Amino acid sequence: MYALKSVAGALGAGLIGFYLGIGGLGAVRALAGYDAWDTEMSITFGYVFGVIGWVMGAGMWGAWGREWFGLRTYDRKAPGWQRYFVFNTDHKVIGIQYLVTFIVVFLLGGLMAMLMRAELTHSGHQLFSNAQYNSIMGLHGIMMIAVAVAALVGGIGNYAVPLLIGAEDMAFPRLNALTYWLIPPVALTLLCTPLLGGIETGWTAYPPLSVLTNNAQILFDVAIITFGLTSILGGLNFVVTIIFMRAPGMTWGKLPIFVWAMFATAWIALLYTQGFAVSLLMVLLDRVAGMSWFDAANGGDPLLDQHVFWFYSHPAVYVMVLPGFGIALEMISHFSRKPLFAYRYAVGALLGILGLSGVVWAHHMFTSGMPNYLHGPFLVATELISIPTGLIFLCALGTIWMGRLWLTTPMLFALAVIFNFACGGVTGIFLADVPTDIHLQDSYFVVAHFHYTIMGGEIFALFGAIYYYFPKMTGRQYNERLGKIHFWWMFIGFNVTFFIMHWPGIQGMNRRIADFMSDLNTANLIVSLAGFFLGASFLVFVFNMVWSWIFGPAAERNPWRARTLDWQTDSPPPLENFPVPPVVRGHPYDYGVPGSVHALFPGRGAEEPPRPPSTFPGAAPAPAGGGGGGGGGG
Amino acid sequence: MALAGTAAHAPEHVVHDKAKMKLVGLWLFFFSESVLFGLLLSARFYLERINREEVDQLLGLGITCVLLLSSVTAFTAETAIEHDRRKLAGWMLVVTILLGTGFACGVGFEWGTAHFSKEQAFGSIFFTMTGIHAAHVISGIGLLVLTWFQLARGRFSGKDHWPVSGTVMYWHFVDVVWVFFYPALYLVK
Amino acid sequence: MKANVIAAVVFWAALTLVGEAFALSDLFPAVGSDQAKDFDHIFRFLLFLGIPVFTVAVSVIIFSLLQFRARGPEEDGPAMRGTGLPPRIWLAVTGCLAVGVMIYPGLTGLSKLQSTGSGFGWGDTDAEIVIKATGQRWFWSFEYVGQDVTVIGNGREVVLPVDASIKFEVNSIDVIHSLWVPAFRMKIDAIPGRTTFMTVKTIELGTFADQQSFRIQCAELCGLDHSAMESPVRVVTRAEYDDWLASQKSK
Ligand code: HEA
Ligand code: HEA
Ligand code: CUA
Ligand SMILES: [Cu+2]
Repeated sequence: MYALKSVAGALGAGLIGFYLGIGGLGAVRALAGYDAWDTEMSITFGYVFGVIGWVMGAGMWGAWGREWFGLRTYDRKAPGWQRYFVFNTDHKVIGIQYLVTFIVVFLLGGLMAMLMRAELTHSGHQLFSNAQYNSIMGLHGIMMIAVAVAALVGGIGNYAVPLLIGAEDMAFPRLNALTYWLIPPVALTLLCTPLLGGIETGWTAYPPLSVLTNNAQILFDVAIITFGLTSILGGLNFVVTIIFMRAPGMTWGKLPIFVWAMFATAWIALLYTQGFAVSLLMVLLDRVAGMSWFDAANGGDPLLDQHVFWFYSHPAVYVMVLPGFGIALEMISHFSRKPLFAYRYAVGALLGILGLSGVVWAHHMFTSGMPNYLHGPFLVATELISIPTGLIFLCALGTIWMGRLWLTTPMLFALAVIFNFACGGVTGIFLADVPTDIHLQDSYFVVAHFHYTIMGGEIFALFGAIYYYFPKMTGRQYNERLGKIHFWWMFIGFNVTFFIMHWPGIQGMNRRIADFMSDLNTANLIVSLAGFFLGASFLVFVFNMVWSWIFGPAAERNPWRARTLDWQTDSPPPLENFPVPPVVRGHPYDYGVPGSVHALFPGRGAEEPPRPPSTFPGAAPAPAGGGGGGGGGG
Repeated sequence: MALAGTAAHAPEHVVHDKAKMKLVGLWLFFFSESVLFGLLLSARFYLERINREEVDQLLGLGITCVLLLSSVTAFTAETAIEHDRRKLAGWMLVVTILLGTGFACGVGFEWGTAHFSKEQAFGSIFFTMTGIHAAHVISGIGLLVLTWFQLARGRFSGKDHWPVSGTVMYWHFVDVVWVFFYPALYLVK
Repeated sequence: MKANVIAAVVFWAALTLVGEAFALSDLFPAVGSDQAKDFDHIFRFLLFLGIPVFTVAVSVIIFSLLQFRARGPEEDGPAMRGTGLPPRIWLAVTGCLAVGVMIYPGLTGLSKLQSTGSGFGWGDTDAEIVIKATGQRWFWSFEYVGQDVTVIGNGREVVLPVDASIKFEVNSIDVIHSLWVPAFRMKIDAIPGRTTFMTVKTIELGTFADQQSFRIQCAELCGLDHSAMESPVRVVTRAEYDDWLASQKSK
């Protein structure tokens, strides 16, 4: 009932807003003596008011908006599954909302990839015209970028960060709900682009093409500007949460590494996301208002957009990968049952990447015809980034070395992150070197590079994190055997597909084409077949998740015997996470350190709910978080 | 850590400094917005270096003064409410709103009379930058109206006035942005 | 510990050898220019350096998977915190590597490619043969400067003499395109409102019919027919080139 009310309210108010926007603009235009309808301007206005209507209708009006007018606010307290469909301010609900939404977007984006690979099985045209191919390719790119930017940050970040730092929620819960509820309109708008002719410009939307192309571009612009807004607001929320909401005793030196990674990520999102918005805004103004930002004949410059765009979009790749590193290191430490190796260096690396991420953007423009003096500095800065990134590797490899590796599904995914990213990172060096980039730029070598980094680095981490937190989120255990099947299937499929993809790139196959040179037929056929194989692996995943969520065996409170706070509360956690707020005493990763405790729950001792029988010695019940083999005294 | 103390009664929650969190959140928002304005400013110099078309200097100076003055009145409003002087605060908010509206009208007038077109690079720059800034001014006016409305209904006091302070801070921020935009659009060359 | 380290190092060395052997295999399309020779050389050099880096990660992971595996969380590993020397050594090695590749082949290669600091393109600013290449949705036109010859349209052959330095002056009249000849391993974008250039030195004969990398290819997404925006290239001897020019003029 509540769910229906909220979704119907959102849709209804969204539609009303949409028509009001169009109508209002039409009225003003008519009064000023223009045509009431101007496709792009009308769509823009309709969209803006539609989105406002959507979030208000979803429940923001009651929970927040009324306050601005001095009215009393109210929440929709929905029970059970319905809470996922209302304007819910609980970070755990928002995290799951994010995850499920983006898994759907991921599957749709993957479906686009399958269509692309089907077209690319052979040179010449198989299924699609050039126009259709371009629009599928652009949609795949932008949807996947959205998944990469937001699924791990918004999903796992929202879910895990407050738990990991011992807080009861995020700093600004209503803002948090708003950032989620802005996402569905973005996704819907992107999915509408084929109705207006499809995005023709890929995800990068370079002008002048994006100024001259069809009307779908306007949907792309407004959707992505909204998406940027959610990114900024989310980043702000994380920074404040991590600074102010840590449990007593959780000093910066004891912060779980995933939280550190989210901290660095949040700063990047906060600082740079405006770049994407500005670049799209300028495109939008060129289109809608007939301005000349990029029209060389009137004094504009197309390269301006590339600078502004990459000013955001390079740091964005670290928005994608830093939380991936963070969660992978987290899992690696717990499943190796060893302290995180060189923790301080890892933190330094994350902050170093944060610092360097803003000064390397023009490595995407080495062949763009920018002035020659810019190449050298950007080459140097780009290659410097491999030093902090290398430290992450040190940390991961040092942790598994001599560990007691418990190869659960999440652990396998975490190790795969390191494996894949080593390949993706090294190919990045080829691209960062100008003499090699001149040939490789805009070839399939780049496509292979970024699938290795984004998919190999982040999406693998995302899936690992989903398995890792599945028991906590749902209170049920997933099927481990299916999980492992999914892992090996996906890992092999991924590596075959994208490793081979380097080769056509070197041979001179350019990106974003529906038709290629016939001498690359065999290679592309293999890539396509491997791609289908890869795609099929997700069926196992979807089945495992759905089945286990409904029928899976009940999960323990701490199935992984991990020491961090997220595992010291019930699965799933109660509304404000910890019935008794924790007090942090020691380092989260002190496995093998006798007598070490991460956190205590003061006063809980006696009423401690019976814990599941533990299979390892020394797990005394009272000081939760002791967890480690040394056994928690204290 | 006050461990022993908290242990006795199993407190519901650690108390967080909500006021400070809101303040920091707002500052982070300004931080992010500065990047937006900074990028526009950089774009302006990237395209046109320090070239500039002729603009109405008198009008520019006038609206700048109006906006700066409005910052003073906004500040007065905030101080007034801190000292529970609700009436003065209300009037000062009204004056701020009027001055802000004056500024917005001034920009509108400039748009109507400018002799360069938005189809030229400088025009694009000028209209975009003043437009984005004016959009912030107008949203600031909206916030001021909402706070005034609540103030008039007796909502704020010396102890509880965060919305007033937040709005006023936002207003100052928008002013500071103009302090950078004004020379870049009216004075350089 | 010691035995493990030795075993892992041996494993790493073995993997690296396999990898390096793979790096020796023939990865590149046909070589058509001096720049292509440089590219192949630099690419292979980076591959030689990159493979050991990659195999460090791979070998430690695989070795640990086999050697340090446990059935469950019963037992904790040694509490190695990674302070002191190991991370510093790692930092020094990766730092040297990074600065190393930055200087060679990075900056040295770059200085060889760029003859001016403020220009917009690759190679020398003057050359024997100058060709004005103009991109347009969705074809190129090539004007042989001083020859009164222009090749327009997709599929029309662009003929170049061997052993000559050829400068493409690249322009666009609508959106961004990019001029790429895979056999020359060179590309530069065509931007409206700005003339960019690239100078190549041809060193081998070649035709598109034999080697598909002898082609001019648009490498920047320019809309609908981006994939069709290509022209075959034929590198011929000087005499054939002169004949071809003459035949084009008479048309
Ligand atoms: C998660 C995403 C992600 C990440 C992390 C990276 C990481 C890196 N990327 Fe990548 N990149 C993309 C996503 C990503 N990239 C995308 C999406 C594009 C294409 C966009 C488009 O055009 O559509 C792209 C394109 C791209 C280009 C432009 C290519 C072109 O179009 O011409 C370049 C050029 O420099 C580049 C370089 C790098 C480098 C140097 C790193 C470095 O951060 C990598 C550092 C890591 C290592 C080097 C490995 C580990 C280090 C060690 C083990 C230490 C020892 C090693 C050495 C000292 C070498 N990338
Ligand atoms: C998160 C990032 C991400 C991910 C995960 C992927 C995943 C994949 N990508 Fe993606 N790709 C990009 C980001 C990503 N890509 C980007 C940014 C671009 C650049 C776009 C541009 O140039 O503008 C790109 C471009 C790109 C190209 C180049 C297109 C071109 O230049 O012409 C290719 C070609 O092979 C490709 C292939 C694939 C494949 C085979 C997968 C596979 O991993 C997909 C796996 C398959 C699935 C996930 C499908 C599972 C679904 C089912 C089994 C059906 C059930 C589903 C439903 C019922 C809905 N991608
Ligand atoms: Cu022209 Cu692509
Ligand atoms: Cu980059």
